[in-house]
Amino acid sequence: MPALASIAPSPAPPPQRLDVWRADDLQPIDASTTASGWPELDAELPGRGWPRSCLVEVLGTQPSTAEFRLLGHALKSVSDSEGQVALVGPPKPVHAPGICQLGLDPRQIIWLEAQQPSERLWVTEQLIRSNAGGVVLAWLPQARADQIRRLQVAAQATDGLFFTWRPEAARHEASAAPLRVSVAMADPWTLEVHLVKRRRPVHTAPLLLRSIPTGLESVLAPRHLQPVHALPPVPAPAHAVDRAAPRARRRLVAVQ
Amino acid sequence: MLWIALLPEPADASSPSSDALSGIASWALQFTPRVAILEAVALGLEVEASTRLFGGKRALLTRIREEAEQLGITRRARAPTSLAALALARSGISNGFAKPLAALLDSLPLECLTAASRHSAVLARLGCRTLGDVRRLPRGGMARRFDAALLESLDRAYGLRPDSYEWVSAPDTFEAILELMSRVETAPALLFGARRLLLQMSGWLSARRSGVTAFTLHWAHDAMRSRETGEGDALTVRTAQTTRNIEHLSRLLAEQLAKVSLEAPVGDLRLTADEVYPLIENSASLLSDPQENVETLALALERIAARLGPDRVRRPRLRADHRSEWMGWWQASEEPVPRQQPEPSPVPQPTFLLPEPLKLAVKANRPLYQGPLQLLVGPHRVEGGWWHRTGIGPDAQSLNVARDYWVALSAHAGVLWVFQTRLARDQGAWFLHGVFA
Repeated sequence: MPALASIAPSPAPPPQRLDVWRADDLQPIDASTTASGWPELDAELPGRGWPRSCLVEVLGTQPSTAEFRLLGHALKSVSDSEGQVALVGPPKPVHAPGICQLGLDPRQIIWLEAQQPSERLWVTEQLIRSNAGGVVLAWLPQARADQIRRLQVAAQATDGLFFTWRPEAARHEASAAPLRVSVAMADPWTLEVHLVKRRRPVHTAPLLLRSIPTGLESVLAPRHLQPVHALPPVPAPAHAVDRAAPRARRRLVAVQ
Repeated sequence: MLWIALLPEPADASSPSSDALSGIASWALQFTPRVAILEAVALGLEVEASTRLFGGKRALLTRIREEAEQLGITRRARAPTSLAALALARSGISNGFAKPLAALLDSLPLECLTAASRHSAVLARLGCRTLGDVRRLPRGGMARRFDAALLESLDRAYGLRPDSYEWVSAPDTFEAILELMSRVETAPALLFGARRLLLQMSGWLSARRSGVTAFTLHWAHDAMRSRETGEGDALTVRTAQTTRNIEHLSRLLAEQLAKVSLEAPVGDLRLTADEVYPLIENSASLLSDPQENVETLALALERIAARLGPDRVRRPRLRADHRSEWMGWWQASEEPVPRQQPEPSPVPQPTFLLPEPLKLAVKANRPLYQGPLQLLVGPHRVEGGWWHRTGIGPDAQSLNVARDYWVALSAHAGVLWVFQTRLARDQGAWFLHGVFA
């Protein structure tokens, strides 16, 4: 291909608009972001953090397994700057002391209990449109693509962090959310995070993020944090609550 | 002087009821204290001094036009004098500043000025068809042949004599009545009429520098109702914060009306402001103000609470207790939250707590939840609560617990908070209580 080879590569002009970027570029995005708490995740996110005024989809296999472990740092930084943290339709009742242990101010937390898919969407949209500048975390297990688009349009016009939790099955559907993050557990203390969609080059290798639920660092010894491959055999419980144990041991002695 | 005349329908057949006019007057008082009822048929507003407050003449006129249309007033005009504005409104010309006032008024027919229309037969025989013809008649002769009112109102319309009015003052309590144009059979359809009344209430509130925390919409059933149904019914809407924001109030009312079913078609609406408190307005800030965001969020939460129910918008409360169930609870967001709450427990707590502990199956001394669990850290003994009872008499139940908590690992469900406890007949049992998510 001599004709092609003779064309000297000319440097592309710098993009004039923010929503036009060069395909190999990760850095220059002029949007405000909130740090995720992991430098390695921030490095992969456009703008070095969770983007504001934008719907972020978090895809997970099972609800109520890793939500606050992934987003806890962002929620805390919003709460520290006097922003409100709204939880829409959590899959299990939220434990107030547990969520306060994340470092959130109890006065900044709102739990909106919505059951029906339409209620969840309506509440989420009202909160996004209220432009409160805080963070909205909504569990939307049954949202459709057009509904996500509607939320994204609302999010663009307002300031705040907007996360929606959706099931992993939604990964193969089209979505208007500019950032889609799939999260799974590599082992109990490691989150495996994959950026399914972002406004930058395709993200290939999943990130392994060290994550210990807040509060547990103080009670876990280093040996607990080793990756677990096989479950060791459990001796019969020997503490006072369970009376069955001593009898079992006696029987063993008798056999010997 | 900038006079605006508002002429409610119907102006030709019967004059509008004084109730309707005073309702509109209480709406208009938010723009200027100089509101007068013109010849018992129309409303005059002198707004020259208010233009700067409302962001300029054009912004003020646009706002008055939009809100007047919502109140059902389509005929309006502005002019340098009150009678000229009224005459222009009657003839359908809205701008009295387009040409010199005398040139505009000269071409109008006699009916536009009440004093002239009273003498229209005599004036027609004199060959006068327009106000300009009347004005050209010799003043001395006119003063002798007609009553003094004709010359005076002609002079006042042309701006040769000053206007003097007794200004309308805002009543101490607000009550507005609206007769619906047609019978309304469903409650949400009442909102169209109720919004007019809310608009009047909002104007009255801003004239008094106040806001409401409660207002009531009463409706009277149609006279053709069946015997069993009552005279009518009422719906009281309460807000957490004092407000006069028309959009917020009408959304709250819409949410409440959606739950009401009418017993009979409705003919009349009445709106009363029940709890009125002074409203302190914030000055606008040059920099963006986070305080304002909090207020808009409060409005959104109130709207959500109106639709879902107040107990489904919740805020956390902490309690100094060592048992997980009693350590924290959630209260309706409308109730006040104390500034100081007990410190959260130093013991690690899960972020999700099951409403009832879930009994787990046990296989080979190992609890199962989505596969076998690995017990990691424990036991953490939580015991006590004999002092805490629910119910009275024979239903009384002690909330005493004796549990050994463990942090457990599951391959699928993550990090769990499980406990072992003793049941009847010395049986041990494992329960799942929370998830560290």
